Amino acid sequence: MDRLLVVRCPDLFDEDEGGGVLRTFAELIDAVEVYCPWVTPVRPGICSLPARGPARYFGGEDALVELVQRAADSITPAEVGVADGLFAAVLAARRGRIVPAGATGEFLAPLPVSILGDSDLAGLLDRLGIRTLGEFAALPDAHILGRFGADGAHAHRVAGGRSGELADLRQPRIARLLDGDSDDDLPVVAEPGFWGGVSDADARAARCLSAAQDLLGPDGVVIARLQGGRGPTQRARFVTWTTAARPKGLGPDTARRAGPGPGAPWPGQIPPPAPAVVHPESMRADLADAQGEPVRVTGRGLLVTSPDRLSIEGGPWEPLSGWAGPWPADERWWSRAHRRGARLQAVTARAAHLLVVERGCWSVEATYG
Amino acid sequence: MFVSPPRQRLVRERTSRDRDPAALAALAAVAERTRPIAASQTRLLPVAPPLAGLLPDGALRRGTTVTVGAPGDDGALSVALALVAAASATGSWCALIGHPGLGAVAAADLGIDLTRLAILPRPGVAWAEATAAVLEGVDLVVLCPPFAPRHAMARRLVARARERRAVLVVVPGRAGWPEPPDLQLHMTDVTWEGVDAGKGHLRHRRMTVTSTGRRSAARPIRRHLWLPAPDGTLAEAPDGPGGPLDHPSPYDPAA
Repeated sequence: MDRLLVVRCPDLFDEDEGGGVLRTFAELIDAVEVYCPWVTPVRPGICSLPARGPARYFGGEDALVELVQRAADSITPAEVGVADGLFAAVLAARRGRIVPAGATGEFLAPLPVSILGDSDLAGLLDRLGIRTLGEFAALPDAHILGRFGADGAHAHRVAGGRSGELADLRQPRIARLLDGDSDDDLPVVAEPGFWGGVSDADARAARCLSAAQDLLGPDGVVIARLQGGRGPTQRARFVTWTTAARPKGLGPDTARRAGPGPGAPWPGQIPPPAPAVVHPESMRADLADAQGEPVRVTGRGLLVTSPDRLSIEGGPWEPLSGWAGPWPADERWWSRAHRRGARLQAVTARAAHLLVVERGCWSVEATYG
Repeated sequence: MFVSPPRQRLVRERTSRDRDPAALAALAAVAERTRPIAASQTRLLPVAPPLAGLLPDGALRRGTTVTVGAPGDDGALSVALALVAAASATGSWCALIGHPGLGAVAAADLGIDLTRLAILPRPGVAWAEATAAVLEGVDLVVLCPPFAPRHAMARRLVARARERRAVLVVVPGRAGWPEPPDLQLHMTDVTWEGVDAGKGHLRHRRMTVTSTGRRSAARPIRRHLWLPAPDGTLAEAPDGPGGPLDHPSPYDPAA
């Protein structure tokens, strides 16, 4: 779960006719953005930012909270808090607290179940004599799905601090509004549901995927989301599947600060088609020229010699039937995650690979499998 | 109101005989348009047109098992994804089990709806249980077994797919699959086109896919495919045993 810092401004919860509240919120985001460029508007009056990187830079979470608090207060009264996951972080902000990493469960335990925002579930739990999140979280996993359904199972994980995203916590609309688009632009949700919002197929899938999550853990079932990026590794990310991840027009990932969308042009992007296999851990590769010497790339992204053969993870040498590139990749030069290298397509008798070279070391990033 | 049974039958007979063919055709067209997508009662799940010729029904039959590729075949994942893409695009849920490195962009380019593709990247030792659980409610399951499955385990999963009317697409990879499937797809003559020594870039991959099956599908069928085509989709490749002779040179003319 991500460590998140949440800024909560009760004065900005209700939008007004003239849009003044929204403008103030946009100012607030600009002010907070000084400390981290990835500020995500969650809903009117609440925004979040990843805490880990900035905290390390500004000398700890206390220092970061103080800085953000001061920046936010210059715009409007605000509450700031840090915790694991969005749900706990919003509650931490309400109490002005920094919940230590891993202590989310203890922090949530004394809170009433109604705080989950699901009145049906809260009523049911109340009748069962379960009043706090801690009591709810203490119920054994095995019984939850059968009794409370997929949404209940997810709320159960949230209550125990094992998952941070609660359905309906985010209002993706807010990101669009802040970008100046009108409400009319929102895509109409076309779900093949006959009886209301969720189709029967979606409900069946939700039940069985929840069962798989009970078996493998929440992160055992994920959904892929596309985003802008240069290399195949950056162009997609995998998020934990929840019932909230159902298609609802705009997902939370279309947030204002998420950067250009997947369709935007990226200079240096490898031309399509995209590789079918992107290795989660890149494999070491050796690329040699006709003389058997390692192939090197100059600082300007040019090959010194022509590649002739390839060996992956110390395996046998395979002759190349073709190769293309290199495409220079100079990424995130402004941050510590700075990577500088080049990509190369290499075709052997068995497969086509996308190789990447960094500091003279080749690795297989993806395979056109 | 009460209508006696014989009279009711009479009325039905008259109406069906009197309808003119044009009206019936129009009615059939309307029925096709208003057919519920992803209704679990339909027997078949659609596939992309270039693959339809490889399948005995021109579509994936629910409750069946398909294996894609022999151990060590490259391109098997692409074929498996192409197989489920059309059904995914029409609203069916899909799952990919046991493959930790899906290229999501490639999957989306093939037409897969990523919001309805559940990925279980590393199910570990619980892979068979997880697959059985997912088969309960997902229409198409692409399984890459992380370990060699035992006979009984494979048989149980095949039975589960049949019982739940799901399609199980197995990419055996190195682990293998001990159970004879309803349909087997094999790839041969796999070649990438578009690169030379340092020129151009990968454009498309030509492959010949052969399907063999049981009973009605016993006769092997072969198709030449571009997977992916230059835009990342699936397309029928021109015939010709000599390879890429009938289409314009993919090499960059400027290079």
